[in-house]
Order: sequence, then structure tokens, then C-alpha cells
Amino acid sequence: MIRLIGYSATLFSLAAAVYGVIAAIWGVRSKRQDILASVRAAAYATFGLMLVANLAMVYALVTKDFSISYVAQVGSHATPFGIAVISLWSALEGSILFWGLVLAFCAAAVAWLHRDERSDMFAVTNGVMLVVGAFFYMLMVGPANPFGAVFPVPMDGPGPNPLLQNHWLMAVHPPLLYLGYVGMTVPFAFAIGALMSRQTDERWLWLTRRWTLMAWAFLTAGIVSGMWWSYEVLGWGGYWAWDPVENASLLPWLTATAFIHSAMVQERRGMLKTWNVTLIIATFLLTILGTFLTRSGILTSVHAFAGGDIGYYFLIFMGIMLLGSLALLAGRSEELRTTGSLDSPASRETVFLLNNMILAAFTFTVLLGTLFPLVAEAARGVRVTVGEPFFNRMTLPLAVTLLFLMGVGPALPWGRPSAKHYRKLILPASVAAISALVAVLLGAGLMATLGFAFAGFAITTNAAEFLLGAGARRRALGESPLVALSRLVKANPRRFGGYTAHLGILVMALGIVASSEFTLDHEVTLGPRETATVGAYTVRFDDIWGRQEPHRFVVAAELAVFMGDRRVATLEPRLNYYEMSDQPITTPAVRSRAHEDLYITLLAFERDGSSTTLRVMVEPLLVWIWIGGIIMFVGAGIAFTYRGPKDGKSKPRAPGVPVKGKVAQAGQAAGRVRAADKEEVPA
Amino acid sequence: MVLSLVAMAVPAAAQDAQPEGIYIGQGPLTNAVEEARAAKLASQLQCPVCQGQSIAASPAPMARQMKDLIRTQVSEGYTDEEVRQYFMSKYGEWVLLEPKAAGFNLLVYILPVAALLAGIGLMFVLVRRWSTPAPAPAEAAEGDDAAG
Repeated sequence: MIRLIGYSATLFSLAAAVYGVIAAIWGVRSKRQDILASVRAAAYATFGLMLVANLAMVYALVTKDFSISYVAQVGSHATPFGIAVISLWSALEGSILFWGLVLAFCAAAVAWLHRDERSDMFAVTNGVMLVVGAFFYMLMVGPANPFGAVFPVPMDGPGPNPLLQNHWLMAVHPPLLYLGYVGMTVPFAFAIGALMSRQTDERWLWLTRRWTLMAWAFLTAGIVSGMWWSYEVLGWGGYWAWDPVENASLLPWLTATAFIHSAMVQERRGMLKTWNVTLIIATFLLTILGTFLTRSGILTSVHAFAGGDIGYYFLIFMGIMLLGSLALLAGRSEELRTTGSLDSPASRETVFLLNNMILAAFTFTVLLGTLFPLVAEAARGVRVTVGEPFFNRMTLPLAVTLLFLMGVGPALPWGRPSAKHYRKLILPASVAAISALVAVLLGAGLMATLGFAFAGFAITTNAAEFLLGAGARRRALGESPLVALSRLVKANPRRFGGYTAHLGILVMALGIVASSEFTLDHEVTLGPRETATVGAYTVRFDDIWGRQEPHRFVVAAELAVFMGDRRVATLEPRLNYYEMSDQPITTPAVRSRAHEDLYITLLAFERDGSSTTLRVMVEPLLVWIWIGGIIMFVGAGIAFTYRGPKDGKSKPRAPGVPVKGKVAQAGQAAGRVRAADKEEVPA
Repeated sequence: MVLSLVAMAVPAAAQDAQPEGIYIGQGPLTNAVEEARAAKLASQLQCPVCQGQSIAASPAPMARQMKDLIRTQVSEGYTDEEVRQYFMSKYGEWVLLEPKAAGFNLLVYILPVAALLAGIGLMFVLVRRWSTPAPAPAEAAEGDDAAG
């Protein structure tokens, strides 16, 4: 029964999406608003149907209905309720089902928030959302059907991948990442909508930028929560391994970051129009590439699901989207011609151009490195690995340059700088010099020294914008410092949201540089009551215990941690043995403090408790990586509250489709446009 | 079932039972220079049973055995290249986390640099072209950060 409901819902989603695509084409050609209204209805319908399908699957997972293929694959009677719910995204078919829900939500949100728009651009945008939707619903109906029938019905299932049931972050990381990935479909749909309807004015640009900002915020949160999960679960003390799937999530993040900056140059100067559209298209294609890499199992990775031939579907879809977009771009080169000029090479515009070039080079390097093993195997028939040392060597200089630009950008004005602006760089430059000196004295390498110097430099220039602005308000209006600061941010949300995001990534950079440069890493074997000292900590092995839990067997070492003579913590690094897996899953014990993390992994033990082998790491400033991630998310949120250019500038050019009732309604329509602008935040 | 799994972890522990306090891996290294060489080599080799992790980072028993082997080789006077060569002969080129910069593999090193240089060149040209005042005045608003 549940199987039937779920499968029908996916089938009807596909039908609704296909109808919507056809209706969008028909409606635009025939200029019939009633048909275009049915496109929006189709978008709402896919959302409702996907909701039904996903709820049906969650219900089946919770009630252990093993007659459904996906439940038989990832469910088990021993799986607790919460984990049963999140095992929705623990394997291929379920995660595509969930992806479909998020995508349908985005399509419905776009349709609803712009329901009063009558221009072709929005009709095409809705159509493109449904094209992408139709592809994913097609996967669910056919090659990745989660609602397959199983006969005979098994008594029990294997349960989800142990790695996914080991930490609460697994409940958070995939949805955030999916919101980020899927969210990038919206800017793409707007770009295609603008190109097809030839409405490449500022309006599509800031709509697109705003949606990109939202997707960017979630993508950032998804990536950072993934790093955090990796740190808390995988037990190697790191958080980023340049794994192909990590790279795949970084690629659209880089191009979206580039777009968020270059869109401002277009807005101010009328330049980079083609480039901006290209970035948006690339971002979308890279999210599909990421899914392809994860889902096809073509590259080995911790994230890769055992995939069937589903990869080909992604490859074909990607190819069609790529060629279609390029053809469209070529056909619209006239509309995308540059209309502006630069006042000075030493302006903020130039810094943005440089930033875009570095981000593009970064993207290319990561993409090439990620795909190179495939290329090499095809060309030479030899398997090669392109891993961490390669990516660090090739991308660190680029990353360090970006830190530098993040410092220069806010200090330089749009247009032409004056001596005042150069003088503003004196203080940040001194901070940079002092940071570099301290780093050298601490024994940092070249890249780390530059990293500290430029991070210090950029933190100063970005923070100075807040302080100078708030100071000016305080003097002029007599506001208290906090009020001045909050009103300053409120008055310029986009600008100060941007600076906040910068501060977030800079704080994160400090954490990354410090923890990778100055980590202490020791492996120790201890007998009962023996101690080992690492950094400021003395670790004593007190006990080892084992315990059967519903779905796993847990072994933990009980450790007393001392700083000097003072006992500061009891840590219990664990090994979890899942019945499904022949390798234990490590759960490190972490004591996080602002200045450093103590990170202990249980490597091995004697069953009689006579000895235990531990890996003890002390990682300075590591917690700031997560804090930086949160600050970035907040910064994007602040920037998102900016509702587009002021009245008068933002009204859409007269669309090709006249509204029935003509002039009398024109005023109303304009009012609705403004209202729609305000409502653009999805609830 | 579970007990047998627990037992699997035991041999590794027994192997490592050593009286002294702190050490990284195992083996007869005596000085800091050799320690640093061994650590660097371990960070350049892929752990065969993990995914994308170096044997330095991996907690897997196999990675730890390889770490010990590197230490032995370093203490016996192998050069870095000889150590890498040994593991390559055993596992194939795949074991190197960074592809050897020779032959076809050079592409992966040269292309990003070439792209960056081309980008810098293009930017130089564009900034110069765009900096000369355009015949038609731009509509861009003057003034510093009006809307943010």
C-alpha cells in the first residue's frame, strides 16, 4: 500500500513536471496567462507529490516495511527511530528521492514568490526548474526507483551505513548540502529565463544574486558541517582530505563565490555580463557533476554510494544542459555586450576582477586534479592518485592570494581611489607585518606565514569598516556603540553582510592555518594507570569497557586528562562495531577550547585491559574553523536581507506580455512587483 | 560475532605493546631529521585500504604497518626516492598521493599554471582597454558605496 502511494507520487511528479515544461513553452508562445498559471500549479503539484513520496518512504523506514526495496536495503529492526528517519539519505535511491523533494520545494517557492510576475522571464524560469525536476523524477521512476518491490519479503535488513549512524551531524549535513546544491538550480533557471526572454537587465541580476546568496549560505553550511562531521567521526584528526566528493562540493562554491562578487561589478559598471551568466551556468553544471561523481561511484570516495549505471543518465543530462546553455549564450552575445568602463586600475572593480580570476583558476585546478585520475587511466591505462599533497601545493598560493584580496577590496573604493584610501592601508599593513613576524618566530613555514599575515591584514580592513562606520554614526547621531553598529549594518545589509562573511572565512583561515601548521600528533601505548604527556596535557589510561547497544557493540577507553596537577576532563574515545561492517568505526573524544582542541582516538586495545593504543593530537585554534563557518552563514543571511535597488531603479522593463485590463492595472501591477520583491524570502 | 570483531583489533595492540612513553609509529629511528623524513614520506603515500587518506593520517592497522616499514627503511639508509620506489613497485603508481611530475602527468601541473598566466594576461589587456574612457559615458553611479 505504502509502496503504491509512494511510487504513484513519483510517477505523478514526473507527469506534472513534464506537463509544466510543455505548458511553459506553449504559454510563452501563445502569450496565454491561464496556461502560464498552470505551469505554476504544476510546480506546486510536484512539491505536494514529492512531500507525499518522501513521507511515505520515511513511514516505511520507521515501520520497517521490508517489502520496499529501499527499506530492505538500508533498514533493520535494530535501527532506532531517529536514525531510521535520516536513513532516507543514507543510500542512492533515498537521497535522490530527498533531492527531488528539495528541488520541488525550490520550484514551488520560485513559482509562488513570483506568482504576480507576468513577464516571459519568469515563465521560462519556472519551466527550467521543472525541466531539472523532470530529470530527477525520471530517475526515481526508472533507474533509481526507491519503491521497488521485494519478494520474498526479508525478515530483517542490514541497517544503514555505519558511518551515517554515528553522529548527529549526519542529520544536518546532507539536508544543508542539498539545499545548497539544489538551490543553485534557481539562479541557473533565472539565467536561462533572462537569456531566452532577452530580459538581461539589472533585475534578473539582483534576483539571481540574491538566490545565489541563499544557496551559497546553505552550501557553505553544508560543506562546513561535512568537515565537522569528518573531524568528529573519521578519527584522523583532520576535516578535509581533498576527497573527490569534497572537491565536488567545493567547485560550485568557488564559482558561486566568484559570481556573488562579479555580479556587483556588472551592477555598478555594466561589465562582465557574459562572464556572470557563464559563472551561473557553470555553478549549476558543477552541482550536477558533483552528484554524478557521488552517485556513479566512478571515483572512489568515502561518500560514494555503490552505484549502478545511473551515472550515464547524469552524464547525458549534463551534456544536454551544457550544450543548450552554450548555444543560448552564443545566440545572446549582443544583449550581453559590455557597456561600462573602469575609472582607475586601482579600484575595487579591479580587485573583484582579480578575485574572479583567482577563483576561476582555483576551480580549474581542483576540477582538473579531481578528474585527472580518469584522464590518466584512459590515456595511459595506469591508475594514478591525485591527493592532498597535490592540492595543497597547487591551491594554497591561490588561497593565500584570495586572503590578500579580501583585505585590499574593502579598503579600495569603487571608481577611483584617493590618498585617503591608501592611508587606510597603513594600519592593516602593520598588523600583517606583526602577524608575519609572530608566525616566523613560532616556526611557521612560508605559506602559513603568508596565511597569518594576510588573514591579519584582511581582518583589520574588514573590521575597520565596521568600526569606522559605527564611529561616524556615534559622533554624528550620538548613538551608543552597539546601536550605531546594528543600525550601520541594517542600513547597508549587503555591504556589511559581505564584510561579515569575509570575517567568517578569515577566522576560518586562521583556524585552518594554525591547526595544520602547529598540530602535535602522537601515538602512545599505555598500560593501566600509565600516563603520556602531549603538549600541555597529561593523559592517564584508567579503564576499558565494552557494552552492547541495540544496533552496535561499543568499546571505550576511559582516560583522565590533566593539565599540570589539575584534572580537567575525562575522555572516552570509542570504537563502535556495527554488525554490518567488518571495520570498527572510530569515535574520537574531543575537548574543544578556544585556543586548542585535544583530540584522542582509540586505535587498539587488549581485551583484558592490560594496554591500549591511542592517538593523541593537540590542534591549535581548530574550533575557529566551525565558528568561522557559522559567521559566514550569518553574513550571507545579513546580505540576503537587502531587497534590491531602491524604487525607481528596479522596476522591470515593460514586459512583452500585456496584462488584461491594461493601464488601469498597470499601477497595481507595479505595486505588486514591489510587494513581490519584499516577499522573496522563502518562508 | 561481536567478540570476534573485538578480537580483530587485538593483534595490533599486542604488536604495539612497548614500554616507552611517546612515539610516532614504531621503529628504530634515533634523530629528529629521520623522524621528519619518515613523517613526510608517510604523508605522501596513500593508505591502500582507506579512501584518499595518507598512511600518516589513517588509523587503519595496515597504514600503521606501512608507517613502521618506512621507519625501518629510513633507518637502513634508504633515500626518499628509494622508499617511494619500493611502495610503487608493490602497489603501483597509484600509491603516490601526488602524481610523479613526469611524462603525461606533467599536464596536471602545467595546465593550472598556464591557465592562471593566461588569465593574468587577459586581465591585463581588459583592464587597460576598459580603463580608457569609453566614448559613451557609463551610467555607473559615482560616489562611495551608496547602496552597499
